[in-house]
Amino acid sequence: MVTLVKQELFKLVHKKSTWITSVLMLVIMTIYAFIARNNANTFDPKAIYIGLFTGMTWVVFFMIAASSSIISMEFQYGTIKELLYRKYYRGEILVSKWITMFLYSVYFMLLAFVYALILKVTVLNSNFQLSENYGYKHSILTTTIYTSLAQFVSLWLILSLVLLLANLFKSSAAAISVGIIGYFAISIISSLLAIVIKKWTWLKWNPLNMMNYPNQVASPSLKHITLLSTNELLIGSLVYMAIFLGISYVVFKRRSV
Amino acid sequence: MVGPNGAGKSTIMKAILGLFNYPSGKITIDGQPVSQTSHQALEKVGALIEYPGIYPFLSGLQHLELFSNDGVSKQQVMEIVDKMKMGSYIKRKAKTYSLGMKQKLGIALALVNHPEFVILDEPMNGLDPQANKDLRTIIMDLAKQGTTFLISSHILSELEKLIDDLVVIDKGQIVYRGDMATLESDSTRSMVLQTSDNDKAKDILTQNGYQLIDSDEGHISIVEDEKTKMADIIKLLSTNDIEIEDVKHVHSDLETSLLNLLQNDKVKEG
Ligand SMILES: Nc1ncnc2c1ncn2[C@@H]1O[C@H](COP(=O)(O)OP(=O)(O)OP(=O)(O)O)[C@@H](O)[C@H]1O
Ligand SMILES: [Mg+2]
Repeated sequence: MVTLVKQELFKLVHKKSTWITSVLMLVIMTIYAFIARNNANTFDPKAIYIGLFTGMTWVVFFMIAASSSIISMEFQYGTIKELLYRKYYRGEILVSKWITMFLYSVYFMLLAFVYALILKVTVLNSNFQLSENYGYKHSILTTTIYTSLAQFVSLWLILSLVLLLANLFKSSAAAISVGIIGYFAISIISSLLAIVIKKWTWLKWNPLNMMNYPNQVASPSLKHITLLSTNELLIGSLVYMAIFLGISYVVFKRRSV
Repeated sequence: MVGPNGAGKSTIMKAILGLFNYPSGKITIDGQPVSQTSHQALEKVGALIEYPGIYPFLSGLQHLELFSNDGVSKQQVMEIVDKMKMGSYIKRKAKTYSLGMKQKLGIALALVNHPEFVILDEPMNGLDPQANKDLRTIIMDLAKQGTTFLISSHILSELEKLIDDLVVIDKGQIVYRGDMATLESDSTRSMVLQTSDNDKAKDILTQNGYQLIDSDEGHISIVEDEKTKMADIIKLLSTNDIEIEDVKHVHSDLETSLLNLLQNDKVKEG
């Protein structure tokens, strides 16, 4: 398994897009940091910092693209045969790809988090203190860590779905679209979702509602709308993740290539 | 392994490699079963199926590094590169490769882990004559050292130079199994004559018990067996005042034998 993960990482580091996206994210974060400083009245620098200078959004974008292509590229390039005919079990091949994506997402999160800290102490040094209280009861730094971790859970809920779709359709286009739409759908239809959930309470267990987890971590009052506690949202997210990855596993194991 | 397009050659190879979900039957390599879920027997197997899978963002050498097992040294990898004469472009990105260059990389990938059993699906695809010959030498050398090859190809003249055993597949079924010589000798050999009076010669030859093959006006084809002697025929015809202008032995080749075999096999469609 270690060998397989190493091989996947080898492919990942030799892809140009891996590095281009990283650089792109840092550039955009920097731009946002300056915008936040120069327009401190219209933008709330604290909120922008907590959102990692939009870094989190880009992590989601790039991870959706990377996760869909890590599976679909093998079909696209015809390398799936070379990959699968070896002595390794099919399950191992798939799991090695998941692990690689997990490592990649951790790398992205850390990069965004650390770079946001750097931007804070350089560009936005005088605007606010990291130890200041923010919103609910934590300091800005703690809030940022909690929000980022919660968003990481949501990210993986989306990614597990993307990995499944890429596996089913052998094409990244469909997986990417659904992934991105899924991620943004929650902010677009949240009010509609709230009405629907109020009417049919059992619908609170639908996966889109689980996407509210990071929001509810940031503002716990959201529980009156999601009708689930923060922990229930976390568990729900993990269960859906397990279901999506489980289906992927079964599909991948039985597929003829 | 030969057979018409769609006969199931690639499919059989995929099944052997555990890539294809076969509904019934059992495949074993060296006594170990192979299926989609049991792959242990494939440790010593190398393969190239249909077309080589290539990552456009990796160089040829990186492909070989990626797929080589831990036990394979850099030097051993380079040996294969040299044998396939890929040295001049092996460090270039594979997306810039031509068809034949990709094919060579695919073959090198199949061989890189020194497998005991190599499956090559139409390996000569896109190779130039020199590369073809090189490939033949490589295969023959490895075969001598004990490597087993399963090769499918439509280029019979190439196969003829390589193989010990032949399997002919038609519509998913084996219609011939054996060596190449037997398939060829099953077919008829004939002697083709050109004479000053073909019609008369035909009559005379038939009267004397020779079996003729229907053919167009220009010449006479006589079915040859062990008893057919050229001297007898020349004597027979010259005593009847017929001049022989040209004699040829026609050995029906593998292609003809194969086409006959496929035409006459009893495999039903569906
Ligand atoms: N034994 C079989 N029973 C049913 N269908 C089969 C069988 N073998 C192959 N097929 C089907 O026949 C089709 C073509 O098979 P395959 O690709 O193996 O042909 P091929 O012999 O490699 O042809 P080509 O010479 O064109 O490469 C596939 O759709 C495959 O699913
Ligand atoms: Mg084929």
